[in-house]
This record gives sequence, structure tokens and C-alpha cells, in this order.
Amino acid sequence: MKSGTLSRHQLKSKATVFLLFTFLLLSIWCFFQFWYPYHFFFQEQNQLFLWSEDYISSYTGAGWLAKLVGDFLTQLYYYLYVGATILTICIALTGTLLYKALKNFKVGRVVALILALVVMTFLAICHFSTSYRLSSTIAMTGWCLLLWLVSLMHGWKIRLMLLALGMLPTWLLFGLPEVKKLQGPDLILEKDFAVDCEYYFGNHDKVIRMVEGQDKWTDQMLFFYNLAQAQRGELPDHLLKFTPNYLGTFEKIGPETPMLTIRNMNELYWALGDMTFTERAAMMTNVFSHNNRNVRMMRRLAECNIVSGDSLAAEKYLRILDKTLVYSRWAKNIRQHGKQIYQKKIQMVNQRDTISITDNAHFLMMQLLDTNPDNTIALDYILCSNLLLKDITNFKRDYDRYCIDTGKPRLKPLYQEALCIWLAGTNAPQEEWEKYIRRADVFQRFQQYNEQRGSTQFKGSYWYYFDKIKAPEI
Amino acid sequence: MKVRSVKLKVYEWMISLSFIICLLSFSMACSHAPKDVLQSNELPPIYPDYCDVTIPENIAPLNFLLRADCEAIEVKAGELTLNANGNEAVFDIDDWKALMQQSADKEIEVTVTALINGTWKQYKPFKWQVVSDKVDPYLTYRLIEPDYEIWNNVQIQQRCVENFDVNALGHYEQLENRCMNCHTYANQDPKLSMMYVRGPGGGAILNRDGVLSKLNIPGSVYFGFSPSGRYITYSTQKIIPAFHSLASKRLEVYDAASNIYVADMQEHRIISSPLLSDSLKFETFPTFSPDGKYIYYCSADTVSLPHDIKNLQYSLVRISFDESTGTIGTQVDTLFSERSVCHPRISPDGRFVLYTVADYGTFPIWHPEADLQMINLQTGAVDGLSIVNSEKSDTYHSWSSNSSWFVFASKRDDGLYGKPYFCYIDKDGKAHKPFCLPQEYPTFYDNNLKSFNAPELGKGKVPFDVDDVAKAMKKQSVVFK
Repeated sequence: MKSGTLSRHQLKSKATVFLLFTFLLLSIWCFFQFWYPYHFFFQEQNQLFLWSEDYISSYTGAGWLAKLVGDFLTQLYYYLYVGATILTICIALTGTLLYKALKNFKVGRVVALILALVVMTFLAICHFSTSYRLSSTIAMTGWCLLLWLVSLMHGWKIRLMLLALGMLPTWLLFGLPEVKKLQGPDLILEKDFAVDCEYYFGNHDKVIRMVEGQDKWTDQMLFFYNLAQAQRGELPDHLLKFTPNYLGTFEKIGPETPMLTIRNMNELYWALGDMTFTERAAMMTNVFSHNNRNVRMMRRLAECNIVSGDSLAAEKYLRILDKTLVYSRWAKNIRQHGKQIYQKKIQMVNQRDTISITDNAHFLMMQLLDTNPDNTIALDYILCSNLLLKDITNFKRDYDRYCIDTGKPRLKPLYQEALCIWLAGTNAPQEEWEKYIRRADVFQRFQQYNEQRGSTQFKGSYWYYFDKIKAPEI
Repeated sequence: MKVRSVKLKVYEWMISLSFIICLLSFSMACSHAPKDVLQSNELPPIYPDYCDVTIPENIAPLNFLLRADCEAIEVKAGELTLNANGNEAVFDIDDWKALMQQSADKEIEVTVTALINGTWKQYKPFKWQVVSDKVDPYLTYRLIEPDYEIWNNVQIQQRCVENFDVNALGHYEQLENRCMNCHTYANQDPKLSMMYVRGPGGGAILNRDGVLSKLNIPGSVYFGFSPSGRYITYSTQKIIPAFHSLASKRLEVYDAASNIYVADMQEHRIISSPLLSDSLKFETFPTFSPDGKYIYYCSADTVSLPHDIKNLQYSLVRISFDESTGTIGTQVDTLFSERSVCHPRISPDGRFVLYTVADYGTFPIWHPEADLQMINLQTGAVDGLSIVNSEKSDTYHSWSSNSSWFVFASKRDDGLYGKPYFCYIDKDGKAHKPFCLPQEYPTFYDNNLKSFNAPELGKGKVPFDVDDVAKAMKKQSVVFK
């Protein structure tokens, strides 16, 4: 056998290694791309990488290069297919370097292959956790690179010397990979992220389809489902579709509130049109994000300050977004056309100054409706919140205040059904019934229901909910 | 053979990389020189706004950026010329120091010329008035998100204003991510200072000649040392955060109750007076006069809160104090009672009292109308400091030990993030246009997402670091009776 040519056996072995590597990497790519893509979006949205000397110089200490490269690449997760591809490439690089290094150290091909595959699988599993950052995998790549460089040398003395010399620079550049308790893929959380992200991308119809296509629902899914329906003016039409339901209006946020809940509340306040609380929730989300920075909240802070007319504050965040690779075009567009884009929101903004010590959403929504009774989203949320709690008295009070007194009755079947309960419960005279119940079909069904109270035939009606379903505890 | 060829490739890559780096450095160093210059009558849109400011001889380089889409910039400041690509003017610190030394008590003319869309444009020159009255070289502050309700990764830092060195006095990593606040010196002396580390097992960390101790001073919030350092006067308050429905007004914070006490740091006892803990009044922001004979503070009649917050008006008052006996006086004098007064601070030479006025309340940080004012204690004249104030909140000030400078937190740039500004008070008591704390990178403030909270000037570097604070936290608290 001539030197430089490969035997059949070697060729076969190489092909096996290549195939196994390819199979594993393809599996990793497919899994993260098709079953776990929203985890990438979550990570991308909850950090902020700036293409600025000042920002880049803030990467100091052990592992600065790994963190810098990791955060740089993470911002690209915004694009479809890129997250899974970057992760797969990093894992492939790590595995290949390790395998080559082990081979150079004369470790048997099978052992080297098994070790490389184990490390690659381990790294992929680590990324099931949302808090496991790409920089950790890059740190691992850095150490494998050192091992490979050492393996290129001849003789144990030189190798040991290079290893000893290379440890410090490698540690300085790449740091140590984060060690985390291994966990399986959290596919429920992935679904939560999916509805959250699709809502954020503006795909409200997709959110509705995704949630309606599920067998089980989390609060997170229902929250965004309701938010999407509310923006279409159909929240009361779908409130009882899922029980128990979750609107988010009973949440209060503080130091102990999970970041995801704070972020959700930011979306709710934004949809309702309360810019004080939108900004507060956005800042609080920033506080609990990676390095206290969150690109999604940067966008929101710019948006809410444009809506509230604080152009100086909006410019602060737009300047930051100018320095991102992904959102700079968005920032330019908002700077130029923000007032047109958010024209409707600007009209909904609270013009009166009152002061409150609570972030009770009911109170906030009342303030918004007092300023602008045409705020249908706030109206539906306030009425639906009352109804979820079976608080018919406050429902009637709010309905009177914002629908009857303003001469704009909202004739949704849900509200008509709830009004029937109040009217029947108070033995209201005929003229009261005529004043409130404008839909003959609802009145007829109510009479039928009273004959078969609690019958599953009426499942989906508010009467059934009122009699049979447990209200959420707050 | 194979291994060697790989080694050779690695060397080739390294050589190529070095070449590219050298080439890049060379091209970056070669910046354009202006030609065919168009004159403009406008001042350059520089950030931070350093046009026509008064600066101390010992300040770090006033690096700035031009808010224009420019390809290159030339800055001429006296005999110093700086040419750079892009829109950032970053001075060499040695050149800057030489310029400052040559220009003490003189004016420097600064000319900015920028290459914009292929044309050189020279802006109207402006001046830097350099004064030999130095500002205290160290500044401590807390870095926190402007929301203030919650925190994560809070730091108290000390910055040398003569260069760009920063060190942490309190760091979240060593202090279990606790809230920390209010590092305050006695007489701007780094050998005597105090800060709070909050949370279970927390307390006031007292630095006396670098020896740290943990004090349990019940409920203390705002405080100030007496000139001898034996006493501190402090306020206790029940702080309530509240929210404005009008987005531009954001957060309001008020006290549901507040009183003032004096703590004897030698005998570890609390001294109180019914005049300083009147249940019908809110008393807050106490500070000793430099001679120790008075405690200046703010006092307001109680109102129904939060409903009547706009009627919550604090006056600037003082009460006498005898340091030799540790006794509080029996009469309260009102010095100023227009609008609502916060944070009185007396200049170390005793000539001026500097304070914040807002339309109402006790939390001027979120009040855009909050401005600084100064009373000449010898003449009683009130200076509205129009050259100092802005359209946004200007508050939380601290004097330099020579009374020639004060630092304050201003939100003038974006209305959200407080930044330290320095203002010169000349011998006639006249205030000059303030300037923002210079940073190594001119884009620093644009990218920064934390407020510089409670800036305090000190004559030197404090003799402790974050590890000492972490150790002090493990000590038993000194209890006050």
C-alpha cells in the first residue's frame, strides 16, 4: 500500500464516520428547525447585540470571545432556518475538532467517534433549555480547538507544553462552558413560545389556528388567543370556547413576577392602549433579560414613546435599534412613519392625568374607557373579565357606563346572555328587558335554558358557564 | 506529512490575518484632511452637548460624536487637531492633559469640520472655558434601570473623572443581587462614607478609614454626615410608588409617613425631636450645614394621598443642632416655600444652599419640570439657575469640596436616563453652562440603558472595594438604641 492512498477498509470507516456525523447533525437540525424553532426566536428577542465599538468593548473577562460570537450569532436567529443552522454548525465544528484531535492522539476510531457523538448529543440536549446560551457551545468549541491544535504537535512533551501554554489564552478567549442540569425538550413551552412569537410577528390568524388546533391549552396560549381575538373585536364571541380561560387581566406585576408574565402584560397594556404601564412592563422585562437588555422591548419602548408623544425617549431606543443588524431598517421606518403607523393607538391614549397606587387592570381599563369610550379592546376586556369572575353586578355597572350611557350598546350574544342573568336576578320590569335585550334569539334561548337549566345542550352559553363552571380565583 | 501541511496552513492563516489587521489599522489611521470647506453658521450638532461649556482643568477628554451622517471629522481645539474617520471625536488622553494644562483659566476655541456627502462643512466654532478650580476627582453613583421599582444587577461605581477608570464599590455578583443605594461621603472625604445594602441581613455599611462596619439604623433612607463625622442625620419613610395615567408623567413616589432623626455614631444612639417627627408633617432630605450648627431639611403638611398629591408641597426649613451636646433645637425656620423643595445641599463653604424644586411631591426624578435652584445664604437671593436647568428633570446634586463645582443628575437628553452633569460656580456665585460626564466612547450614553443615580463627588478614591463590602455584610450589625 502506497502512502497517501487509502485502503478499502479505511474508506469504509471514513464513510461510516461521515454518515454517522451527518445523520446526527441532520437529526439535530431537523429537530431544532421543525420541533423547536420558537426557542431560537425567544433567545433572539431576549437579548440585544449592538454593532458599536462601545458595546463590543463591554465584552471583557474570561470567555469574552465566546460570549461576543455567541451573542452576535444569536441575533441572527431572527431569520428563518438560521437558528437551527448556526447551532448545527457549532455542534458540527465541536464534534469534528474533537474527533480529529482524538484521532491524532491515536485514540481508536470507534472510541473517538463515540466520544465525539456523545459530546455533540450532549451539546444539543443542553440547548433544550432556553437559558443555555450559544456562547457556552462556542466555549466548548474553543476548548476542542485547543485540543486539536495540541494534537497536531509531535511528541508528548511538546503537546503538554502547548496544552499548558494554551490553557490560559483559551480560558481568556472562551471561558468555561456552562454546566446545566440536563433536561428533555420542553415542547409545551415551545408551543407557548410559538403563540407568543406568532402574535409578535403579527400573525394573529395563525395564533388562533394554532391554539384552536391544540388538545390542551396553557394560560400562555389562551392569553395570546384572547389578545388576537380582542384585536379582531371578537373576544366576547370566543371567551367561553376554552374553560378555564385566562385573560391576564387579574395579574399584577412586581419583583417576584416571572419574566414571561411581565412580557405578556406588556403586550396586554399595549393592546389596551395604556402607555404608562406598557413602558413600565417593558422596562421590567429588560431588567430580567440577558444583560438587562431585550431587543423586543427596545422596539416596544420606541413604539410606546411614539404613541405617547415623547419623541426624545423614542429616539433613544431607535438609536439603539439603528445599531442592530436585524432591526435597523425597522427603526428607520418607524422614525419616518411612526405617527402614521400608530395613528389609531395615538387616538386611544389616555389624556387625563390621575394617579393610582395599583396596577389593577380593571382600574386601568376604566381610566382608558373614561378617556375614550370607543376603545373596544379595553371595553371587551373589562366586560369579559367581569364575566369570567361571574361578577354580574360590576359587569352591569361597566356595561351601563360604557355602553348604555354612551348610547353605544355592544350587542354581543355573551353580553346579552349575561344581561339576562342580571335582569332575571333582579326581577326587572318589562321595559328594562326591552332596553337591554335587543336580540330576540338570545331571549328565546334564555327561556329554553330556564326550562333545562344546566343542560349540556347550552354548553358555550354564558348561562351554562355561570351555573356549571368554576370561576378563576384571584 | 499530513500533520505538517496542516501546521503550515495554520501559519499561513496567521500571517494572512496579521497582514489584514495591519492593513485595516493603517487604513483606519489614514483619515482625510479637509479641503474645499463650506462654512456654516450653525453650531455643530455634537453629543454630548459640549458647546460653550466651562470645564475644570482636571477633567477627562470631552470625547463627543457629531449627530450627522459624516464620513470623517476634524476637530481643532486650541493647538490640538484631531482627524478621524466616522463621526466620533476621541482625544488622546495625554494630548488632552497637555491642552488642559496650557489652557488653565483661558478659553479654547473649538472648530468642528465634517465630511458630509462628499463635502467638508465647517461649523460655527464654540468655546471651552477651562478653569483652574478643579472638580473633586472621584464620582460615585448607582447604576440602575430608571424604573426603580425592581432591580437586577445593580452596581455602585466609582469613576475617576480625570480619566475613564471605573471601579465597583457594590456589585450584584458579590452581594447576592441585592439592592444598594446612596453612597454618601462626609465632607467629600473618601475616608468617611456610608452606603446601604438592602434586603435580609442588610444594613448601612460605614467606611471609616477603610474599616467597614455594618450598622442597623432603623428605617434610614436619606442621610448626611455632620462635619465632625460623629453624627448622621437621616430620614425614615414609608415609600409608596404610584403611577400616573398620563404616559408622559410616568412614575410618582411619595411618602405615606416620614420623620427625621440624628444618629450618634460614637455612642450608637438615636436622637429625636418632636419637631422632626411631627405626625401632621412629612419631614425628609436632612443634611447638616458645613459648620454643623443646623440641619436643613424639607417639610410638608400632610395631605390625603395619593388623591391630593398635587397639594403636597415641601418647604425648605432648618433647625439648629449642637454638635458638642448632640441636642436638636426648638425652633424651625422656613427658608423657602415656593413650589415643592427637595434635596437641599449646602456648599462646603456655607455660601449657598442648592435644592430641587418641582410642582409637587417628593420624587423629582420623574418630574420633567424639576429644576435646580440656589439660595445665597448670605444675601438670601434666589438664583433660578436658568443656564443649568433643562426641559427635563434636573436633580440630585452634590458639591465638590471646593464649592466651585456641583454634579447633578439630569434627564435632559431623553427624559428617561439620568446622567451626571457638572456645573461651575464662579467666585461671584454665577453658574456656568454644565457639561456631561465625558466617556471613553462617545456612543456610551446612546447605548446605555441604566440611570446614573445619586451622583456624589469625593476628594479621593475610597479605601475599600466590593469584596470588603461583601465581607462587612457578613458581620454582626451595630445596633442603635
